[in-house]
Amino acid sequence: MDISQLLTNKSIPTVVAEKADPQTEYLFALVSDLSRDARYTEDKKLHPGKKQKKNQDIKMFAADSILFTKDALTIISPTEDSVRRIAFSDIQSVAVKRMYGNAYLKIEKKNEETEVILRFTYQITVSAEAAARYVNNVIAGEDYTEEVKTVQESYERLQCVCPNCGRTLLRPGATCIHCRSKRQIVSRLAKYVKPELKLLILCIVNCVITTTIALIPPYTNQMIVDDFVPNKNYKAMLWMVVFMFVAYVVHYGLMAHRSYLLRAAGNRIVMNLRSDVYERAQYLPMRFYDKTPTGSVINRISSDSLVIQSFILNISQNIIVQSMLLVGIIVIMLSMNWWLTLISLLPVPLVVVGSRIFRKKIAPYYRKIWRRWSAVTSLLTDTIPCVRVVKTFAAEKRAVNKFKEYNEDWRIMDTNASKITSIYPQAVNFLITIGTLAIWAFGGRMAMEEGSGLTLGTLVAFISYTSIFYNPINYLANLSDTYQNTLASVERVLDILDADLEVDDEDEGIKPKSVKGKIEFKNINFSFDRSKKVLSDVNFVIEPGDVVGIVGTTGSGKSTLINILLRFYDNYEGTIYVDDVDLKEYNPGAFREVIGYVQQEPMMFRDTIFNNIAYGRPDAQVEEVFNAAEIANAHSFIVKQPDGYDSMLGERGIGLSGGEKQRVSIARAVLKNPSILIFDEATAAVDSETESLIQEAIDRMISGRTTLMIAHRLSTLRKANKIIVMENGKIIEMGSQEELLAKQGKYYTLVQIQNMGSKQQAKEEV
Amino acid sequence: MSIRYIDCDEARIMPSETEYHVDLEWFGGETVKNLEAKRLFPVSGLFQYIALLDSSGKEVAIVRNIDHLMPESKKVLLAVLNEYYMVPKITKVLDKHDKFGVLKFMVETERGIRTIEIRNRHNDLKLMYEGRVLIRDADDNRYEIENIDALDRHSRSLLNGEI
Repeated sequence: MDISQLLTNKSIPTVVAEKADPQTEYLFALVSDLSRDARYTEDKKLHPGKKQKKNQDIKMFAADSILFTKDALTIISPTEDSVRRIAFSDIQSVAVKRMYGNAYLKIEKKNEETEVILRFTYQITVSAEAAARYVNNVIAGEDYTEEVKTVQESYERLQCVCPNCGRTLLRPGATCIHCRSKRQIVSRLAKYVKPELKLLILCIVNCVITTTIALIPPYTNQMIVDDFVPNKNYKAMLWMVVFMFVAYVVHYGLMAHRSYLLRAAGNRIVMNLRSDVYERAQYLPMRFYDKTPTGSVINRISSDSLVIQSFILNISQNIIVQSMLLVGIIVIMLSMNWWLTLISLLPVPLVVVGSRIFRKKIAPYYRKIWRRWSAVTSLLTDTIPCVRVVKTFAAEKRAVNKFKEYNEDWRIMDTNASKITSIYPQAVNFLITIGTLAIWAFGGRMAMEEGSGLTLGTLVAFISYTSIFYNPINYLANLSDTYQNTLASVERVLDILDADLEVDDEDEGIKPKSVKGKIEFKNINFSFDRSKKVLSDVNFVIEPGDVVGIVGTTGSGKSTLINILLRFYDNYEGTIYVDDVDLKEYNPGAFREVIGYVQQEPMMFRDTIFNNIAYGRPDAQVEEVFNAAEIANAHSFIVKQPDGYDSMLGERGIGLSGGEKQRVSIARAVLKNPSILIFDEATAAVDSETESLIQEAIDRMISGRTTLMIAHRLSTLRKANKIIVMENGKIIEMGSQEELLAKQGKYYTLVQIQNMGSKQQAKEEV
Repeated sequence: MSIRYIDCDEARIMPSETEYHVDLEWFGGETVKNLEAKRLFPVSGLFQYIALLDSSGKEVAIVRNIDHLMPESKKVLLAVLNEYYMVPKITKVLDKHDKFGVLKFMVETERGIRTIEIRNRHNDLKLMYEGRVLIRDADDNRYEIENIDALDRHSRSLLNGEI
């Protein structure tokens, strides 16, 4: 078989391919990046497509690799010059062990021998885990073809490099911004510019007029010096002044008008872009948020959209204006005197090169300053809110000294940077002045010589044009850096705009007003990225009105079960029925409407208590909200607040205790009048007294409703008529409390442990 | 239960049959096999406070200072730690690539040439005391520059601005 076509996590070294048996039907390969004695094997290229400099001093090694078949694995080690085949029938299990900065794959053989078969860095760990799972599952009797598919998916997800150009992608599977057609990017952004096109064209016309007016004064100076003053034509001079007055009124008036129009158009562009990104972000599936930090999404909505807006305006306006200005000035200067024009152009290459060097030099300083400054601000955010702790430990002096030290670091760096920032503009000015001096030197002589055709007025005008001429030069020299920065922002924003939504059409699917509450999980298997199964063969039926407790240790799959029921993830295997209808046939939004969900950490919006409770039903009547708060045992503390239901809650509900926030969130769920209730460790983070208040509220709420309760404290499950015990993603016990206690299994053990804990606590309190 | 410390010769650390593990024999003869050695201060104290854990992750003992162990024990423990903790020392920076927010360095280390990809330059490049630099790549692998000022000029210029 052709080894080069084999499914692999990275390219198979030639020496490995040569050692592989051509007659064997290999299914996939796992290629390491470390030798057994922890030396790096051949590295990928830094610049894709560019010839890499060879370093002769350090010898690189071909990577150790393992080739897998349906019933064996073959370890090929070029470093040890060995090929070994181990049949699955001799293997008990395969596992990955992470160390620090490196890991290894070990096999436990049936004869109880343990052997390390591959060593690698963390870069390979996920692929190695997929390979280990393949072997273990095939040994356990699973179909190898299905298992290979899982390995393939795992490998593909790790491809964070564009297969076309080799550039690093924003996240695995993302579209490469460089390989995306530029026309496509322009057309995506054009959508936002199109509504403002008339305004932008008006701005350009405005710009043409103001630029033309800006080019007039040097020309009038020439007329004054060459014509009006020598001929003592005061009348013409006065007319010129009036003309210039009108020209300046028009110029500044148009500038103000253009500035307003640009701001208005720019605001609409950024508003539409932000709204689209925000809207898209609302409908993105949870799996997107699993991989993308929320802070990064916020940044894309706030900062990146602003960068794009600024660039769009920049491209549509300044490029045209600055280019026009440049061409206009050169044409005028050439028409005046081509010889002097050439002299004045002499410093241009120096200014362009200098400007680029300056940008490159100053950028590292800005980053260094940013680092020093962020150290100062981090210290502030650490110590100011914790001033009580600082005082308690009499650490004021230490805090002050540390602050002084960080502040001093920042001062030194900023002062160093200021050397460059101060020198550069003056250096550019100096170059321009040299150009001006050269014009004076050559032009002055020409102006003095009769018959040269250069008058004093022309010389003065020429020098004025030279000073304007360098603005567009500077602008155009730095355009490519702005373009690169914007491209990064465009990439991040399009990543959201192009991401797959939860549903293609938000109106599709059944929209139930209520459900009876029968829930059936049939053969449910689920994994977040198919690299590790989180739920495995889950089956149960919950009848309408059942109160079901879900218990198990951390990581046993309880919350994932709930997340699937809430349709945060739809990529599970098997079928979930609600009222005998496939869950995927319901509209996700409408289905969530009939579910009341109370989380362990209640999230409060920056709004009044009233609006927080009425969040799910903004049209709720006042007394309905009171009633919900009463049921949730929240009304009594709300009325004690000085602003009652108008009390503003800060970020994450600052101002309320954990128990109070939980009761507000329960009231929020009550107001929805849901058919199904879900409590995800609702009392885990509160004291015993608050717990009893919340428990009371829950007891009132659950009557007649199908209820699922995840709980660590088993005492909170006393109303449950069914208990599901989970471990490692599987249901290990299910039944009534009495049945499970009589069985003396896992649930019985958990109850025993908690009873012992309670007795101990009671003893300590006595 | 209180922590059992090893100061010097109250216990002997021996090579284990299991790779990357050690065996421990207390002065009284009690032996514990297949222990994993873990630094409690992998950044700030490489040779002090080394925990020895059994296969279930339970701590069996803590070595207070490797230098105070018997020479053979010290050798065995250091060998295992060197294998467990892979923090290659960067001796030269060969090339740099910075596009679209991803910073890549091609570096020479004592373990070979490697391309390091850094996605969060603000958190993953840390300048410690006396020019020591700790680097964490996108896959969570670690690297170290013992003294940035001791690197050659080209390497320093490539690192300039990032640290």
